[in-house]
Amino acid sequence: MSETILEVTDLKTQFYTERGVVRAVDGVSFDVKQGEIVGLVGESGAGKSVTTSSVMRLIEEPGEVVGGEVDYMGRTIVGFDDTGEELVPRDDMLSESEMREDVRGNEIAIIFQDPMESLNPVYTVGGQVKEFIEINRDIDGKEAKAEAIEMLRRVGIPEAAERYDDYPHEFSGGMRQRVLIAMALGCRPNLIIADEPTTALDVTVEGQILELVDDLQEEFGTSFIWVTHDMGVVAEICDRVNVMYLGQIVEQGPVDEIFHDTQHPYTEALLNSIPRPDRTVGDLEPIEGTMPGAMNPPSGCRFHPRCPDAREPCREVAPEFRVAAETADGSPHRAACLKHEDVGYWDAGPLDSGASETTPAGADAAAEEGER
Amino acid sequence: MGLLRYTLNRVLQSIPVMFGIAVITFLLVNSMPGNPVDIMLAEQEASPELIAAIEARYGLDEPLHIQFLNYIGLSWILGAVGIPGFVGSPPGILQGDLGFSMYYERPVADLMLTRLPPTLLLMISAFAFAIATAVPLGVLAAKRRNQPADHVSRVVALIGVSTPSFWIGIMLIILFSVQLGWLPSGRLVYPWRDPSHYGLTSQWELYYQTVRHLILPMVALGTLQMATIMRVERSSMIESLQKEYVQLARAYGVSERKIMRKHAFRPSQLPVVTLIGLNLTSAIGGAVLIEMVFSINGMGRLLIQAIQTHDYQLTIGTTVVIGFVFVIGVIITDISYAYIDPRVSYGEEN
Ligand code: SF4
Repeated sequence: MSETILEVTDLKTQFYTERGVVRAVDGVSFDVKQGEIVGLVGESGAGKSVTTSSVMRLIEEPGEVVGGEVDYMGRTIVGFDDTGEELVPRDDMLSESEMREDVRGNEIAIIFQDPMESLNPVYTVGGQVKEFIEINRDIDGKEAKAEAIEMLRRVGIPEAAERYDDYPHEFSGGMRQRVLIAMALGCRPNLIIADEPTTALDVTVEGQILELVDDLQEEFGTSFIWVTHDMGVVAEICDRVNVMYLGQIVEQGPVDEIFHDTQHPYTEALLNSIPRPDRTVGDLEPIEGTMPGAMNPPSGCRFHPRCPDAREPCREVAPEFRVAAETADGSPHRAACLKHEDVGYWDAGPLDSGASETTPAGADAAAEEGER
Repeated sequence: MGLLRYTLNRVLQSIPVMFGIAVITFLLVNSMPGNPVDIMLAEQEASPELIAAIEARYGLDEPLHIQFLNYIGLSWILGAVGIPGFVGSPPGILQGDLGFSMYYERPVADLMLTRLPPTLLLMISAFAFAIATAVPLGVLAAKRRNQPADHVSRVVALIGVSTPSFWIGIMLIILFSVQLGWLPSGRLVYPWRDPSHYGLTSQWELYYQTVRHLILPMVALGTLQMATIMRVERSSMIESLQKEYVQLARAYGVSERKIMRKHAFRPSQLPVVTLIGLNLTSAIGGAVLIEMVFSINGMGRLLIQAIQTHDYQLTIGTTVVIGFVFVIGVIITDISYAYIDPRVSYGEEN
């Protein structure tokens, strides 16, 4: 296995709102190895984008990274010391200006979801690509411009040199997403975070973009964190997957294992909700209910109000995130489900109903207190 | 290319508007009670013959519709094609003749040439002052949102919009001219005149005096503009700062400073330019009062005198010229739009 470049351990990010503290990311751990595409999958609100923003330290008020560690190639992006009373940022944590100058853009680049909003409408497309290349690589303006045109050509913009001076509104959505990919790759980062980059595009264009990324990824050797809610995209592009639910990772492993040896009911539900050639639309099973807010997460297993397999212990016991299955190549396949624990899940009876199960906020908090 | 055609088009389109302004103003001044000859001769016991002679001289003895045709210049056209009764009529607005002022006994166009420049000088400097102060302050307030600097700017803006400009002018005179004696309280020194006209010896001295004389009226007229521009600049910047393209710039390591000056700044200027364009009109009203307070011989004072003396042609002429200045302002606004935002075209498609 190749070298690990990014290691996220027990990351916690909170938002302080008027209605209370939202634990948007609540103890997330995963890693990314050189040259692989790692999926971060889940419904909207699961905390995927907050996770990636935390990795880049771009969380803005009223949010804050409150715990955990993010290590990028031996450098500490996030790290805390426990003084006994509180967690204080560690001394070796990169400063804001180090983040800006050494990490953002030149080591870790990002592609956002909405290509319409991601480009500045009043500057030329080429100028924007050139600007980011210029600040993130040690080259002068002329070289940066040549590089920008070259990158635009590589991502499949026809007549790149002529279109360099066009404005974003003169490009289609798919073309703009190509521009953003050119921007990211042009900075020669080690890792690119792609935050639902194809969600706003239609299926045909999505397919083209995925193909393009697959090709370029191989050529440049860049690692990706691919954020999506679409298991279909995961199947097409990812090497390993992290499935997120309500601020936590519930299943993690190589993509084949996740698809063929699914260990968590939520992952199963996600898989059942995607169209596949061997099934008709009638076979699709939407996931029941909606994801509860991260303000008062359900007690025990957070998925239990919606889980078709939920049994009595699920309401009280929070499952541990642990190795759940053997894999062919020995890389861990983890899941957080009581089925893999020795807490009497198999002996208990099912919860009477799935989605209608709700617990009052107070009980939630009490249950959470009890766990600690 | 497109720009020149666009400007020409807009100027041509404004001609019917100007014509409309002239018609409405003509009807309004003629519906005012009183008549110019009475006012002209108010001091003397005038004989009916004298009155009749003056009326004849200015064409006031004609019926109203004929006066109108004369003034507009239609009579001249009718005369030129040989319609009897109109031959030999004087030229009017359509021929570029703005008429003759009875009160000043000079062509209206002549008066415009001497009175328009001071007003333009006052307006341009007031807007320059407002923009130069409001834009940085608005950006600062957006950057330090809900911090002390923002609160101070909010209070300043509130005072600025709620205080009449003439009152600010009077207060400035009391403080800086009367009490402190730092700055002159009235009249302007025109930079285009010869220094010797003011007893000055060099050009630099002339400019220095111009600036000294301009400061108080400029601040008095510009404060309201500054306050409104500052607020719009602030809210527009705040909006841009939350845009995804600004977040993207941050994610690529662009410094906050550059984001403030470039990435968020330029997209924020569209509403600001709109506001400035709109405010040009209201500022003309403000300029009239400021010219009175500071005894500046500009268009504002001229217009008031023209109305007071029932100087019909001068009133209409002044109004039309002010209207034209406004049209030019709108054109400049539109052109700045297209400069700021590439999505705005000069409308040459379709
Ligand atoms: S722990 Fe229980 S509720 Fe949670 S996923 Fe497993 S079976 Fe479902």
